Amino acid sequence: MNKKKRFNLVLLVLFCFKGFTQNKSDSLYLNFKIKFDQEQVELQKKYISKNSDTLSFKTFKCYLSAIEIYFSDNSAFRKKNSYHLLDIENQSTSHIPIMKTTFKTISKVVFNIGIDSIASTSGAMSGDLDPINGMYWAWQSGYINMKIEGKSSSCKTRNNEFQFHIGGYLKPNYAMRKIEIPVQNTAVQNNQINIAVDLNQLFSEIDLKKINSIMIPGNKAMEIATRSTKMFYLE
Amino acid sequence: MKNYVYSLFFLVFIVLIVAFSKSYHNPIYFKVPKSWPKPQYDFKSNPLTHEGFELGRNLFYDPILSRDSTISCSSCHLQQTGFTHVDHELSHGILGRIGNRNSLALQNLAWSKSLMWDGGVNHLDVQALAPITSSFEMDETMQNVVDKLQKSEKYPVLFEKAFGTTKITGQLTLKAISQFLLLLVSSNSKYDKVMRKEAYFTKGEQNGYELFKTNCASCHTEPLFGSEQFENNGIGFDSNLRDSGRMKITNRKEDYLRFKVPSLRNSQVTFPYMHDGRFKTLTQVVKHYNTLGSDKNRSEKLAQPMQLTDDERVDLVLFLITLTDKDFLTNKNFNYPIN
Repeated sequence: MNKKKRFNLVLLVLFCFKGFTQNKSDSLYLNFKIKFDQEQVELQKKYISKNSDTLSFKTFKCYLSAIEIYFSDNSAFRKKNSYHLLDIENQSTSHIPIMKTTFKTISKVVFNIGIDSIASTSGAMSGDLDPINGMYWAWQSGYINMKIEGKSSSCKTRNNEFQFHIGGYLKPNYAMRKIEIPVQNTAVQNNQINIAVDLNQLFSEIDLKKINSIMIPGNKAMEIATRSTKMFYLE
Repeated sequence: MKNYVYSLFFLVFIVLIVAFSKSYHNPIYFKVPKSWPKPQYDFKSNPLTHEGFELGRNLFYDPILSRDSTISCSSCHLQQTGFTHVDHELSHGILGRIGNRNSLALQNLAWSKSLMWDGGVNHLDVQALAPITSSFEMDETMQNVVDKLQKSEKYPVLFEKAFGTTKITGQLTLKAISQFLLLLVSSNSKYDKVMRKEAYFTKGEQNGYELFKTNCASCHTEPLFGSEQFENNGIGFDSNLRDSGRMKITNRKEDYLRFKVPSLRNSQVTFPYMHDGRFKTLTQVVKHYNTLGSDKNRSEKLAQPMQLTDDERVDLVLFLITLTDKDFLTNKNFNYPIN
């Protein structure tokens, strides 16, 4: 190997390192909008559901995982180790870079709401899965896939509070849900795919007078998990 | 020539990175005692090092983990008593709060698939979350723990030594605690020495061992003397604690009042016994299995009481005492850290 080749090799190695840092402009993003009907949700603000419940929110956190982008030629991009914690209190979490921009036509977006059983049984994890995020059950191991807390005058509870901590990784109460969202190509603008997370879609299906506190895996959590899939749709 | 110098610099740079990243990590090889089963813990996900162990040991003995800095892990898990809270039926917490179960002994945790009396915790790494966040125990959040550790003078240095970063995370904190717990191996009791043919049982102990093998070993399997099973041993429901045991985790009716089969190693010093600490002595425990209560839902393995004679009961207890591992209970490496 002559000296020039060796130098080129060094450059190549350096270039490879650079390749890991993706530029903002050349990435395809999923952009999640936490909404109540057409409005962006503000914490503590009062909303009225289709059920005519008046309610406000204190917390909305939700795990999204195993994000896949499918193309019209039936090929797919699978994002490795993709676990994202969507948190209404942290705007940057709703803007998720997925892959390098592509010229292929996108046909659908697929992802899970929640955390799979393998990650739920692998001990202490890092990043969005770090138990520091308050989305992990201590007394009964496993992630809380979705945490929604707030108040409603319909809840005859202490301070009219409701809390839904939805999770569970053990069958028959495996609460993770897979979602497929078909994408028309016109919906991809500025390398972004906007996906609504519409809380009204969920709360219009919950009778808050009867169901206002779910904190453990089980039948009730499974029902809410299934209903929660309706919140996600293409904008 | 210049190009050559550049690439040489680059090489030196890489070598230095590799050298420094390794220099303060002294790996520990986890020894599996002869004829013991393969550990459940995946050591690849958390390679043991002296630095990681020492960090975990510091965390274990530090009340910084509790909300008001009054309680550490060692408050309920004392080495001299097999890392449990001797003489206390139920575990204690900050402000004199009392939990609803007897603290378990900490030993041979690398072989545990699930933890807690109800098996609710599925991995050793996440075990510490339970006492840290329980309002009856440390009543703290993991976020606060990490913030307090990060602000301290001591811990960023210890994390750097153990994991090569001063940035403290929940994951690394928990993995360090696991490293300490994993090395709490008790395998040098008289029983172990007899098995290794380094010692002999007395006549009474030998008789007790035979009785043990016929009456107890189907649940308390050798060499760990516990199991991953959950059983109803017929001690009945405590109407104050209202603890339904394993059923709380699985929602299955058949798991009502089933609790983990704990290890009998060091049981001489881990009194009181059972999930609610109801029996104060091993003699009481043996008496329970000798007659059994009226609870019809107890484990099939306990269909018949032992019906041992008084002498046989004495021998059985003599055998249980051979499971006491003085080296483990007095090992200075497991004691309060001296920095």
